[in-house]
Amino acid sequence: MPLIRPFGFNEFWIIVLAAQWTIALSAIAFAGGGIGGLLIALLRVSDTKWPRLIATGFIRVFQGTPLLMQLFLVFFGMNIFGFAINPWLAATVALTLHASAFLGEIWRGCIEAVPSGQREAATALGLRYYNRMRYIILPQASKIAVAPTVGFLVQLIKGTSLAAIIGFTELTRQGQIINNATFSPFLVFSTVAAIYFVLCWPLSVLARRMELRFSRATAR
Amino acid sequence: MTEVNGSASPADVHGTSDLVVRMEGVNKWYGDFHALKDIELSVNRGERIVICGPSGSGKSTLIRCINQLETIQRGRVVVDGHDLTAGGKNVDIVRQETGMVFQQFNLFPHMTVLENCTLAPMKVRGISRAEAEKTARKFLERVRIPEQAEKYPAQLSGGQQQRVAIARALCMNPKIMLFDEPTSALDPEMVKEVLDTMIDLAREGMTMLCVTHEMGFARQVADRVIFMDLGEIIETGTPKDFFGNPKNERLKNFLGQIS
Repeated sequence: MPLIRPFGFNEFWIIVLAAQWTIALSAIAFAGGGIGGLLIALLRVSDTKWPRLIATGFIRVFQGTPLLMQLFLVFFGMNIFGFAINPWLAATVALTLHASAFLGEIWRGCIEAVPSGQREAATALGLRYYNRMRYIILPQASKIAVAPTVGFLVQLIKGTSLAAIIGFTELTRQGQIINNATFSPFLVFSTVAAIYFVLCWPLSVLARRMELRFSRATAR
Repeated sequence: MTEVNGSASPADVHGTSDLVVRMEGVNKWYGDFHALKDIELSVNRGERIVICGPSGSGKSTLIRCINQLETIQRGRVVVDGHDLTAGGKNVDIVRQETGMVFQQFNLFPHMTVLENCTLAPMKVRGISRAEAEKTARKFLERVRIPEQAEKYPAQLSGGQQQRVAIARALCMNPKIMLFDEPTSALDPEMVKEVLDTMIDLAREGMTMLCVTHEMGFARQVADRVIFMDLGEIIETGTPKDFFGNPKNERLKNFLGQIS
């Protein structure tokens, strides 16, 4: 086998298949971040001081540092604390925490965008915190949240490309591997970029459409 | 006293005392702003109180202290024997027994009229959906909009929305009704339908505290009218004395401006 092979359909197909790991990583981080984000958002709007401070601190740390550093810290941190080096686990944990912080902050804004009269009316009817949140606040907040949440999902999908640096073989890493064998970087990375675009573009369109529909619904 | 007052004493008395709201030395601050100053107020069962005063005088804050939408810094609020300042379960009990109607209606926009009316009875009182819907339809009938039950709030006029809000509060079978400027956000032609609903309620012997600028309503149904200014209760009297023979200069001034 020659040292440098040409970029053919096989190589192309290997890169396309690697997209499944990008999708899987995004899906897990998004699902985990959804649960974590709801928790963070609820802590962030709590009536008591400590939960609010903890959630704020968590959000500030993840918003104030690059995603790459977050990946590094989880990856090498796991090693220091005696866990075997595992790019899969590190990438999943880091991206889940990252998504929790960002979704938490997005959803906090959505919860606070529900007019205060709604909470007051529910309180005056005798509904307590759980029922107020579940039946009154969150259903209204979630309508506001759909568009920015899909927007963040696009960011998250693109963000998974950084997992390549800690050796997790997703779309970008597979591109690097193929490039090392074919040495046609422009061709390889054009393909990689095109696949990201195919994944993200429909979501962007969807987010924009939902935003438009929402602003029309609230304009009346 | 008027004949409305004569028919006020309700047939069934739930509590042990006729005193249903008692505020003693109530003080509230928003930062440096002294919103309520040494408020003393007692309300008897079946009594109809109208509170008026210039904007920022603390009248809304006062009635919001009765179901603890606002907390106070000093003094005591006792509602139907439950001391709110003692906290704990008392607050929940009082909120269940107190209905409130807001200036901006505050209906739940994502729920139908019927769902607006049944949510709290089901989730707070724990009664069945069938029972809650029966009660809701009864009260929607009473506020004269039974045909709107399946609609969403945004499909109704302001006056209709406010009547739904009244029905929603009544579905909890409250002992006291608080009205916080219920007609101030309404177009003029819709004020009457809401006031008529409130007058009906007063005739049935409901204990009511209304913050309102509708002096005609005050004359017609109030047992006592209270004038507030700068966080204080300045003058209290029967509608006859209050409008016919006001003593305080600020009240005279106020009545001069609104009539």
